[in-house]
Amino acid sequence: MTTDRLEDLLRSTLRAEAKAAEDRIADLEERVLLEIEERRPRLLWHEWLRQLLAPTASSRFGQLVVVGATAAIFLFVGIGISSNLLRHDDAAPKLSLQPVRFADGTQEVLFVLPALNAENVAVVGNFNSWEETALSDQDGDGIWTASIPLPPGRYEYAFLIDGRWWGQDPQADDWVQSFGQFSSVRYIGRGGEDV
Amino acid sequence: MTPRKHCVLVMMASLIVTMALPSTAQIPLHEFEQALHSIPVAQVDSMLGAIELGLNQPDFPAESLLRLIDRMARRPAPAIEREAVLVVITQAIEEGLPIEGMVDKAFEGLARNVPMAQLEDGLRQLRTLLAEVRDLLYARGVFSAAPGTQSAVANVLPNTRFNLLVVHISEAIDDYLSGGGSPFEGHLLYQEVHERLVQLEGVILDSEDVALVLERIDPSDLTQVALTAVS
Repeated sequence: MTTDRLEDLLRSTLRAEAKAAEDRIADLEERVLLEIEERRPRLLWHEWLRQLLAPTASSRFGQLVVVGATAAIFLFVGIGISSNLLRHDDAAPKLSLQPVRFADGTQEVLFVLPALNAENVAVVGNFNSWEETALSDQDGDGIWTASIPLPPGRYEYAFLIDGRWWGQDPQADDWVQSFGQFSSVRYIGRGGEDV
Repeated sequence: MTPRKHCVLVMMASLIVTMALPSTAQIPLHEFEQALHSIPVAQVDSMLGAIELGLNQPDFPAESLLRLIDRMARRPAPAIEREAVLVVITQAIEEGLPIEGMVDKAFEGLARNVPMAQLEDGLRQLRTLLAEVRDLLYARGVFSAAPGTQSAVANVLPNTRFNLLVVHISEAIDDYLSGGGSPFEGHLLYQEVHERLVQLEGVILDSEDVALVLERIDPSDLTQVALTAVS
């Protein structure tokens, strides 16, 4: 047998073997990758936590990063909230349905009257010797308000809408008649509250 | 005493005197005289005598009264009618009644442009109520201690507390009558008075005083008071 014939024989034999194993090596690459993926070690959450708490230099750095980031978030949110609150305080009119109380028992009492087409609204009562205290409607929505500091006691009052008397305030605690006309009544300071 | 201590004491005394001055400062009588002349009134002397009496009382509303006289002076009404209104108030002062409520009612009447005769009638009714209620309390054994004196007896109240009771009982009856209530409905009158006193209990009225008064007066007493006021 010559050398050429031997080489031909070997080639044909290899080709035949490769042909026979063709279906087994078709997806070899994918299968190898899949196998590698399955065997890759995973960092479970408790392992991650243990690493974080472990007293190694690298994990200590990780701790610092986490704590620092948390503090920064809290600081950022806190500043945001407080600045919003401050801005709200500055912007809001100094009027509230909750009476503001001072140490001597005096309260900022809010008088509110809806009067849509009115040009002037005032309140008169025994707290101002029945002389007009103007109500204001800064945003022009027809809701007129005035905040008047009053010590504890009983107060009679009425509204003046463009000079017309209106003595039946729906917010009043009571109504009384005087000289044939109605006046509203508010009790301030009963049980420490505006009643 | 070292000069330094002496100096500190003098400074403290000056401070106390300075702080006390505004509270003891009284409106001089001649200001009232001037205001009364600007109406003008005929009975200046008797009115000034009453005001002088009032100025010696601790809770006398001198400033409010002067303001009322000034406002009266600007009121376009016959002087005799304006004087009649003020006479009712000065008579109340002479009788030793607390006049804050009357002054306030006069302010309200002026603000509402109530005719002077109607204002006078309203004030007269309130003055009668004040006197009757005070007498009722005396009759039921509730007394007032003279200003500046202390009392350890439960039914002898300091003057200011006693007057507050008189004022609020009287005004409650006055409101009831002004609202068209009948003086014969004693239980309704009592209810009105009860409600008023309870609302102010612990606010400007002493709880013990309220309990004392409500225990000692009854509906028939209030009917009698109201009947006297409207008669």
